[in-house]
Amino acid sequence: MTKFAQICDLVETEPIRARDIDRGALIGNWINSNPDTSSIAQVKVFEADGKLQLQAFAVGPDGLIDWGTTTADVFAAGPASRVGAGFAATFDLGFADVRLQAMIMKGLLVLAQFHLIKDDSGRTSYFMREYYAKTHELFNQ
Amino acid sequence: MTQADKLLGRWLNTNHETRGIAECTVARDGDVINVSITGVGEDGPIRWPTVRATPLGNLEEEAGQRTGALLATFELGFMRAETHMRVNKGVFVIVLFATFLDDSGRANYLNREFFYQP
Repeated sequence: MTKFAQICDLVETEPIRARDIDRGALIGNWINSNPDTSSIAQVKVFEADGKLQLQAFAVGPDGLIDWGTTTADVFAAGPASRVGAGFAATFDLGFADVRLQAMIMKGLLVLAQFHLIKDDSGRTSYFMREYYAKTHELFNQ
Repeated sequence: MTQADKLLGRWLNTNHETRGIAECTVARDGDVINVSITGVGEDGPIRWPTVRATPLGNLEEEAGQRTGALLATFELGFMRAETHMRVNKGVFVIVLFATFLDDSGRANYLNREFFYQP
């Protein structure tokens, strides 16, 4: 019997594996809509070895800081959906873990950022939510 | 009042026909903030186990808002529900990332619902 904690999860579906979920809308180069951001300026989302990968670039005093690459978990629009609607991932920066929860809304990537400070600097952990647009060549063709 | 205090209380789903989360209660116990969620079931409410939330301050938000957020993960055995909660212009928002841990074949998914304070 299918277990559920909310009735929307009570669905019958052919097995949906992670790789069955269409990631097309997620993949691309996402640029922060706020040019004055002091946080993540750009996120590159791509596939490697069948997994969704993220590379984030944050604003630093002398240019962008490359956070490197991490693997993301893909989330669909519903328990019987095969359409990718968002992702979640964690960057371990040593002094902090940054948990990202992303969802697509009206073509924008809405990125909730949870900066969990791990060092003894006394800084407090904090939350940010920013918007990203996917770069494309639509108007250059 | 801390940023997290703005999230305290009982919040009801603005959608009376939701098939997801019916209500959420955020309560402070000393320095700890606990979150309780009630899901909509077939024959009545389904109460999820109460969990301790991680409160986070907000540095920036649209329209100059500075409301904190809560990060809370519910381990339900067959499913993990990672959530974050915040208030946007008086509306309490829950964003849920559900990961199925059973072999039901269901897709991991995300959902967002809106709540008001009665």
